[in-house]
Amino acid sequence: MKEILKLDNVSYRYADAEKDDYVLKNINYKFELGKVYAIKGRSGSGKTTLLSLISGLETNYDGKITYDNQDLKNINLDTYRNTYVGIVFQSYNLLPHLTASENIILSMDISKTKEKDKKGKAIKLMESVGLNKNFASRRVLKLSGGEQQRIAIARSLSYNPKVILADEPTGNLDKETEDEILNIFKSLAHKENKCVIIVTHSKNVCDEADKVYELKKHKN
Amino acid sequence: MYILKNALISITRNKGRNLLIGIIIVVIALSSAVTLAIRNSASSLINSYENKYDVKATIGVNRENMRGGMRPEESMSDEDRDAKREEMQAVFADASNITEDEINKYGDSKYVKEYYYQVSVGVNAEDLEKASMENSENNDKMGGPENGGREKFNGMNDSDFTLTGYSTLSAMEDFINGRYKITDGKISTDMNDNSCVISEELATLNDIKLNDEIAFIDPNNEDNKITLKVAGIYDEESDTESMMGMFAASANNIITNANVVNNFTKNDEDIHKTITPTFILTDKKDVQKFEKELTSKGMSEYLTVQTNLDEVENSTKTISNVKTFATTFLIITLIIGGAILFVISMINIRERKYEIGVLRTIGMKKSHLTMQFVCELLIVSFASLLIGTGLGAMCSVPVSNHLLESEISNSETQKQNVENNFGGHGDKPMFDRISGTVEVAAFDSIDAAVDLKVLLELLGIGVALTLVSALASMISIQKFSPLTILKERS
Repeated sequence: MKEILKLDNVSYRYADAEKDDYVLKNINYKFELGKVYAIKGRSGSGKTTLLSLISGLETNYDGKITYDNQDLKNINLDTYRNTYVGIVFQSYNLLPHLTASENIILSMDISKTKEKDKKGKAIKLMESVGLNKNFASRRVLKLSGGEQQRIAIARSLSYNPKVILADEPTGNLDKETEDEILNIFKSLAHKENKCVIIVTHSKNVCDEADKVYELKKHKN
Repeated sequence: MYILKNALISITRNKGRNLLIGIIIVVIALSSAVTLAIRNSASSLINSYENKYDVKATIGVNRENMRGGMRPEESMSDEDRDAKREEMQAVFADASNITEDEINKYGDSKYVKEYYYQVSVGVNAEDLEKASMENSENNDKMGGPENGGREKFNGMNDSDFTLTGYSTLSAMEDFINGRYKITDGKISTDMNDNSCVISEELATLNDIKLNDEIAFIDPNNEDNKITLKVAGIYDEESDTESMMGMFAASANNIITNANVVNNFTKNDEDIHKTITPTFILTDKKDVQKFEKELTSKGMSEYLTVQTNLDEVENSTKTISNVKTFATTFLIITLIIGGAILFVISMINIRERKYEIGVLRTIGMKKSHLTMQFVCELLIVSFASLLIGTGLGAMCSVPVSNHLLESEISNSETQKQNVENNFGGHGDKPMFDRISGTVEVAAFDSIDAAVDLKVLLELLGIGVALTLVSALASMISIQKFSPLTILKERS
């Protein structure tokens, strides 16, 4: 399995925190393609912060994060986020004034995906996460939580990234839907050779993951 | 391309927000179009006045310099004072005696658009009786003093008549401004023609008719004669209060062209001619430069350039005030409108923080995001500008027309009057060239109140307003952290 992401002695503290008040300290994780990873930990342990560092949304850290052997600090992070990693949030973060397919197409546009029939591809992606084409023209606010999360996953897949980062993707969903979403992630890792990293509280997700990292609240 | 597409989707899906911005821009564009149109109409009127009332410069005595240089000192005796006074009079006479060569030299200047002069000389006539209050039909009602004796022409020659020659038709200001009006015949437009026009009084007194010939004699030399054919008879517009003074000055005034006077006087070195030059300046700002040039060309320190600038500026004062008011109103509208737009944009951006956060998170570059927001504002601004300008054009036409209509009417009436004063030649191009009657044509298209210039100015305003509004988005997009936005949202 090819190593795609690596964290070497990564430490992070908030800008206004005291000198030794780290949220994350000396984190050394490795992530490979074709696997589902779960990062668990209690509230405040720094799970979401770690995901922010990996997704390039937060850059003020110590240590080194590499994507495909390239230091994130040397990569254009906009390009990194719109090409190499797909991000799925607990609160979906879809644009409410757009329809389901427009949300996916916009993501393709931003990543400059060369696709002649972007709407056709969007519908295929929706179908791959269990939504039929009737959902394509619906405004996202008219969709249920599970449906919105599927659209968010389809959006994150629209430019075919190697890494999927998911922050509590099943946190707002019922057990049945959680299972369906988990199956999608597992399928992406095992069948499409993607690296799926899920930050979660859920024991179910941890059980289904190929590898689990546990973050403990750092104490000075 | 996707930026434009996304901007259009955003505009159509957030109608309320964009409608508010649109209404504000329509109001700004409407008031700007009206004020710009009024301002431009006012500028056109001012230009018209300035063209119509050309900046005329003439050469006069510099009384300040003369007083300073020739003032008798207190310690002087009476005799010395008298001597000084005589010296001053001699300098005054010498300084004011400008020659035709000097006029041509001064007129050959880049600051001068056109120049002409009037030359006057005292003459006598063999078979002509001088008009006076005594033999005037107005004598009884006026009851004025007798004025039958020979008049001293500028104290130099004893003469009965004044022969006044003009170098061009433009120089005949008394006919242009309507003081003199031809009642029979016409003024010859040939500036080498041996013809003249005489007053009605003189014609009646001596029973002179059109095409009669009159012989005039040099008061200094009876052998020097000139015969002129009467081409026209003029009447002088007058009121009873000024009748007495005017009668003596004008009834015996024989009007001809400058060549006639110059040919008549060329063999008499002693005859005293008075030449009054007029220089039409290209620009009112050139007065100082023109005077400096004349000084360098040898104009006496006791002479100065005198202009009609005060008169021209006074005539445009009211419309200048309208222009200033329109400009001030425009500036205030733009400042208040710009501030309101900026605040609304800031509020809008705060509402759209979540959208900014999501787009930044999925990898949209700050520059692209800014472009999208600017695109949205540009589309809304220009659509609103079009509506505002259209409404402005509809409102500004009647306002501007009202300002301009009376001016056009005045200009046309004036032109017609001048033509009549000269005897009505039907020679339009000739009279169009006369100073003071031109530029009427420039006002024919009064409907162009919101013209290309106004449209370009509005376009500039639109771009400026968009930039002001976009500034809010640019600042916010640079400042907002996507992570913070999404955390706040969660």
